[in-house]
Amino acid sequence: MDAAELLNWVRGPGLQIAIAVFLLGTIWRLIEIYSLGRKPDLAERRHVPGASGWHTLVRRSIPIPGMFQRSTITYVAGYAFHLGLAVVVLLFAPHIKLIQDLIGLTWPALPSQFVDLMAVVTLVAMLVVLIDRIRQPVKRFLSTFEDWLTWAVTFLPVLTGYMAARHLLLPYTLMLSLHILSVELLLVLLPFTKLFHVFTVWPSRWFNGDIQGKKGVAV
Amino acid sequence: MPINNDADFKAALAELDIHQQRRAAAAFVESVLHLCQDMRVSSAIAMVKHPGVGESELASAYQAVNSVRVERFTQCGKEADWRSQAGHFVAKAALSCVRPADESPGNIAWEAAMSARMARTCESVAEGTGTDNHEAETQYRILYDLLNS
Amino acid sequence: MSASLSRAVDILKEVIDAPIASYFNSCVHCGLCAEACLFYTESGDPKYTPIHKVEPLRRVYEQEYTLLGRIGKWLGLSKPISDEELGNWRELVYDSCTMCGRCTIVCPVGNDIVYMVRKLREGMAIAGHAPDGVVGATKRTVEIGSPMGVKLPAVKAQIGHIEAETGLTVPLDQEGAEYMVLLSSMEIINFPEYLSAIAKIMKQAGKTWTLCSTAFEATNSGIQIGVSDLAKVIVSRIVEGAERLKVKTVISPECGHAFTAIRWEGPNLIGRPFGFKVKHILEVLDEFRAAGLLKTEGFEEERLTFHDPCQIARRGGVIEPQRNLMRMVSKNFVEMSDPGKYNWCCGGGGGVSANDDAEEIRLIAFKRKKAQLDEVKPDKLVTACANCRIVLEEGLEHYQMDLPVVGLTEMIAEHLVEK
Repeated sequence: MDAAELLNWVRGPGLQIAIAVFLLGTIWRLIEIYSLGRKPDLAERRHVPGASGWHTLVRRSIPIPGMFQRSTITYVAGYAFHLGLAVVVLLFAPHIKLIQDLIGLTWPALPSQFVDLMAVVTLVAMLVVLIDRIRQPVKRFLSTFEDWLTWAVTFLPVLTGYMAARHLLLPYTLMLSLHILSVELLLVLLPFTKLFHVFTVWPSRWFNGDIQGKKGVAV
Repeated sequence: MPINNDADFKAALAELDIHQQRRAAAAFVESVLHLCQDMRVSSAIAMVKHPGVGESELASAYQAVNSVRVERFTQCGKEADWRSQAGHFVAKAALSCVRPADESPGNIAWEAAMSARMARTCESVAEGTGTDNHEAETQYRILYDLLNS
Repeated sequence: MSASLSRAVDILKEVIDAPIASYFNSCVHCGLCAEACLFYTESGDPKYTPIHKVEPLRRVYEQEYTLLGRIGKWLGLSKPISDEELGNWRELVYDSCTMCGRCTIVCPVGNDIVYMVRKLREGMAIAGHAPDGVVGATKRTVEIGSPMGVKLPAVKAQIGHIEAETGLTVPLDQEGAEYMVLLSSMEIINFPEYLSAIAKIMKQAGKTWTLCSTAFEATNSGIQIGVSDLAKVIVSRIVEGAERLKVKTVISPECGHAFTAIRWEGPNLIGRPFGFKVKHILEVLDEFRAAGLLKTEGFEEERLTFHDPCQIARRGGVIEPQRNLMRMVSKNFVEMSDPGKYNWCCGGGGGVSANDDAEEIRLIAFKRKKAQLDEVKPDKLVTACANCRIVLEEGLEHYQMDLPVVGLTEMIAEHLVEK
């Protein structure tokens, strides 16, 4: 199979398989998790403004007093690569075009030099995150094979995408194919690894805020 | 005039000066001292009865007796050993005796009396002899004897 | 698999719900929970990382409730929970966790780790891995009525003492009283001043109140070790007493987890809402203050700070009342860093102080509280939980810190205007 054939495959059948696995996997996993349900709480709840699951959805992104100083790298590098990913994935013209072709929605893109810069920020932040995971005792203690795998599977699309856009290392067609293939790998693994937190973080924060909110504590 | 109720008892104690209060408090503690077998408490009480005892000696006695008090707390969830708990209150009573004067001690003799009674209550719970004890009357007699000696 | 282990796994399967499944699937191993936990921050040992404390629960979840996990188990690729493992986890679940809940408010993906620890304790207890001290406490509560073996005669002895000291009556089994006051064994044994404070305050506020001879005990160590059946028995006594005496409000004492047990878990344990209100004593005092019923005089001159008990503030939602009450009797009240719902645990809640094995790690963890106090340099430390008081005193004694600790209710009572 030559480079052009590979590109056609990853853009065609490859993409279809990956999206199908991603969508079906996500739906299956959401059902698997949330069908377990929750017993109703019979204790009389307090009604304190600002204390609810909905508030926590947003507020939990802010560290509580003292935590930022204790874990600066985690917060800074963590926010950097999440924001970087969001910018690179959603505000890059070719990506927006792809999404428009798939589901018809479109929105303005950011200038490609800016996206380029964000890609570099993302790569650097992810490397910092990796090194910290190796060096920091708690992270090292908690880490399993899945943590390294999901890191690689998230890093590769950004790296290969950046290299493709800048025409680095390999011929463009091949680099682009590798980029799309790496994204397909990410999509296929997402529902079945900790990457699924993309979806579960919202209900988790909501449950957390709801339970504390019933007691009148805004967290 | 003998004292036979707590209102008079408390008022009489409040009128004593700091040295007399310490002596009264020490006497109340001595009545229940056997419920706390600890050298630190008994030597603190012995020291308080000396007329020339200095502030720094009182301070170090305070530290020692406080350790006894903290050691003898019953932990939340542990089975209550009422005999040991009596020792806690004896130490607490002794603490009132040796509290440094500069900390605006207030009616230390009254506090010591209350803690001593609590110690006696713990003893009666431990022995299963019911809720009444006559430590209050014992204390009225002790104060009466002290005032008239 | 032994009978008790398989019962334990069954219990764990039963307690796993959508929130727990959501939490396990959200964890990204960031380790921030460790930085919120005083057992980790003061020891530096990663094994105390909160999410790691619930690893056995996670494995049960994975192997029983996920397709891939069940396939893995079927193929023999995953390790089932073993009795030895649960035994090894005792230290993490009972010795180095007070269920203080800081991890829960810190986790960026929203994991309620203390909720998971509480559920894991249910399985641990059935498997026979709860610490002896707390198991004994729960048994005593069910059989005798109090975890510390305090029977009615001892309560009556204390009542007698209080009545003599204050000249007031302590009502017992008074039907139709507005408030039914619960006590914790700790107060009955260690801090009888609490009951005399209540008597004086109620007298001044002009409110009717009573103790209940069949339900004077608020402490619920069933909650601590995680045996809901026993916790239910304990709560039921209180409910029966309150409904029989037709009181409007049950007052939970200055005890941390007693409030959690009766206010937040109680109705769920007995399966129906209560026919009466449940309030913490601080809430009641604050209501009296706001209604002008508490007349105090004089101010404490010393520099005071307040230690917020975890189960009352962060976990109970009682955060402002104590501040209002402190300001009533003090012009020199300073907050510690991380006050209110962010407060650091005393290190002894959740059964830890009754657990001899935990003493060493508890005293190490106390360094966090010590650091807070060294920073604010108070003359006196005020709190509102009998267990916190003792744990604080022991910690202060251990680190040779000369700092008196007092209860807030007693402090208020001392400032009441005498008629």
